[in-house]
Amino acid sequence: MQDEESLVRRAQQHDHEAFGQLYEANFDKIYRYVVLRIGNEAEAEDMTQQVFVKALQSISSFRWKGAPFSAWLFRIAHNQVVDYLRKKTKRATVSLDESLSHDDNPQLAAERKLDIEQLIAATKHLTKAQREVICLRFASELSTAQVAKVMGKSEGAIKALQHSAIVALRKALSVG
Amino acid sequence: MKKAREFNDILDECLERLLVKGGTIEECLASYPELAVELEPLLQTVVAARKASIIQPRPGFRAKARYQFQSALQAMESKRRRPFFGWQRQWVTAVTIVFVLLLAGGGTVAAASNSMPDGALYPVKLATEQVQLMLTPSEIGKARLCAKLADRRVAEIIYMVDKGNAQQIEVITQRLDKHLVMLVTLASAPKQGGLPRVLAPSEEATANRDALVGTDSHRAKLRATLARYAINHPVALHAALEKSPESVKPALRQAIAVSIAGYEKALIALD
Repeated sequence: MQDEESLVRRAQQHDHEAFGQLYEANFDKIYRYVVLRIGNEAEAEDMTQQVFVKALQSISSFRWKGAPFSAWLFRIAHNQVVDYLRKKTKRATVSLDESLSHDDNPQLAAERKLDIEQLIAATKHLTKAQREVICLRFASELSTAQVAKVMGKSEGAIKALQHSAIVALRKALSVG
Repeated sequence: MKKAREFNDILDECLERLLVKGGTIEECLASYPELAVELEPLLQTVVAARKASIIQPRPGFRAKARYQFQSALQAMESKRRRPFFGWQRQWVTAVTIVFVLLLAGGGTVAAASNSMPDGALYPVKLATEQVQLMLTPSEIGKARLCAKLADRRVAEIIYMVDKGNAQQIEVITQRLDKHLVMLVTLASAPKQGGLPRVLAPSEEATANRDALVGTDSHRAKLRATLARYAINHPVALHAALEKSPESVKPALRQAIAVSIAGYEKALIALD
């Protein structure tokens, strides 16, 4: 793949192939992020598509300011997720917490094989910021610097948030 | 405070090793034995969370999303290139509107443009397409329109797969075939018209050919569109096949065969 900056420039000049490469490079990561944030596969599929259509519509407004293109893309995804969750608050949701293990031993709880539903249920015990860090860092494989750009925080703040998020996740997995 | 910051940095460094560089928990703990008790449970949690979160999109969704994204790209491109005061398009649009308004009324036509085969306005959509074909003066324009209509038919087939309607899929497949056959005929026009493209034609012959079948650049653009469809349409139909009920599979397989054969012939005709 060519370097991201030249791909974005070409995509901004309506080069389909360049946009296709950016799409392929980020599709799975965005999908994982959305699934983990909203916990619903069907809705996540729709939203992932919306993220890329939105990116297509507004790519001309993207400017290089030190942040990678993926950070911009995740920002769009983040906004879509926030909108979705805001609208969803009035709707009843099915709790997945029952599927969590009630293992009292934290070590055993962490070592056992988690599945995505259990992870989603556990992240619901985290604060919004902690959950965002977990999704971006572990599901979407962004570096600390990239997460900092997406969340508009310093790298130091992200490292601290990451620590507290892992502690909270571990606690959620052990308590259920 | 300083100690906490140092620990956060060390944890982040270990995560980088685990997540990016393929290192192990044991290696991280060996580097920081004094923090091993504190680090180990956190790293175990991260490894478990990471494993659980590596989920792949369903192949059917991936194909469908790719197809829809390509369609959105093309739609944006054609919108961008459309001349605001393009007299020819304006003329065609105006006549089309007048013509169809007489039959159905403006609101109906607008509503029909997005209708699907099980919708009440679908016949209006088909009639509008026929009028558009009739009023498109150049052969290359007609060929482009045929490609666009084939694209619509594929979207309709995928829609009818969700509805489980095999009979409708067969009917739409026949329409798809008709568009592709017309496309092949239009694309083959220069050869049939006795204007061998290999030999240098006279200026007059070139002008005639261009008027009939478009310039080389028009043909190249059409070819690029068809090459894209030749990949995307069968992929999207195959993706629909994966999740389709047994009752529609034979009809859908026929649609895939028509799509593959039709684009192959059209691309050969354009070469």
